[in-house]
Amino acid sequence: MEEKKKEKKRKKSGGVIGFVRDFTYGMATHGMARHALKQRSSMEHLFILITMGDMLGIPILPPYYSLRLLPYVVPQITTWKRRMLREKDFMDSMY
Amino acid sequence: MSLADFFIQYPNRRYLMYGGKGGLGKTTFSAATAYYLAKKGKRVLVFSVDPQASLSDIFERDIFGKGNIEIMENLFACEVDADKRIQDYQEEIRQKIISMYGMKKIPEEIESYIKASSAEPAMEESAIFDAVVDIVVKGNFDYYIYDLVPLGHALYYLSMASVYDAWLEKITSLREQMKEYDKAIATMKREDTEQDDIYNELMYIKDRIGSSSKIMTDTEKTAFFFVLTPEEMTIVDTEKAAQLFAKYNVPLSGYIVNRVINRELLKDNIPTYLRNRIGMQAGALEMIDQTFGSSVLSSVPEFDSEIKGLDVIRNLAEVMFEEKLP
Repeated sequence: MEEKKKEKKRKKSGGVIGFVRDFTYGMATHGMARHALKQRSSMEHLFILITMGDMLGIPILPPYYSLRLLPYVVPQITTWKRRMLREKDFMDSMY
Repeated sequence: MSLADFFIQYPNRRYLMYGGKGGLGKTTFSAATAYYLAKKGKRVLVFSVDPQASLSDIFERDIFGKGNIEIMENLFACEVDADKRIQDYQEEIRQKIISMYGMKKIPEEIESYIKASSAEPAMEESAIFDAVVDIVVKGNFDYYIYDLVPLGHALYYLSMASVYDAWLEKITSLREQMKEYDKAIATMKREDTEQDDIYNELMYIKDRIGSSSKIMTDTEKTAFFFVLTPEEMTIVDTEKAAQLFAKYNVPLSGYIVNRVINRELLKDNIPTYLRNRIGMQAGALEMIDQTFGSSVLSSVPEFDSEIKGLDVIRNLAEVMFEEKLP
């Protein structure tokens, strides 16, 4: 674990050259990364919707096995609910 | 073919199930078959997941929710407590959430979701079939005799399994797409990707559902017997159910007719009521012969006492398998 952290640090910061490299890299990819993250979180919400849909009153499937997935999505539940219920039509938010 | 021949001819059929309408004798036949095979030196587990299970009654021992109980040499019986299983399972989920996030208490909306889940219609069926996988995976028995809950449950589960399968297929591919994004983001940010626990859970669920529906549909290892009585309505219902089961590829292996009144009685001076019943059964038996023909493996007469205790079970086994008269 410690090793890994150090490795990460070394990768991220490496003096002036490293800074310049990170800077240009960041300039180039920041937008893309943001877009990808946004896309990823949309998918996350879609995923919770099709596994935990009955929380919003949309019965999707019997919950015996979906309960197994519940622990992993606990932190996202609140934001997901807010987002799903805010949309005029939740189908819009699926894409 | 007789029922005894069946077990000689198909020694690989290790999962035996009796199905049929309620109260026709599934449990008694399960017990008698278990007795017969145990006496032949096979290790047998007979189990039930019905909340109104009557294995306890039939063996005259309280075995409900107590695990595998030895009834006699080689014969074990087990009654699964489905309610308790669901509760334990919910508790396990709670503990997992608490330990994953170091919470003191489960958030209210999560808690209410967990609570509400036990009221869902398919919760019990899923829990039951999941329990069956556990029993079959864990045990080291030669035969597993499954005292099936009434037909509806089994059919419901089988159809559910195929729906589940399609659902899992979809979310697994969504999950895989998400993984791709994770990878892309990680490369852009030059970080390592984390392992996807949800994906592993999905694979586990897939495996569980696969094996539980496989137990019911394995043509090599499973034998499914229908129990019926000589009454027109039962015959019609059984035929319908058999067609549905066949649709889900359940290996139907034969029919056993229960509660046949001895026709010899007609020679005696018997009340009209009994005479009429025998007449009615004669018609129904003919219908059974036309409908199921040689698939009828055994015909069991009506007993004059309730089937309870090992002595009576032995008698029943002799009638079923050795075609002795009671």
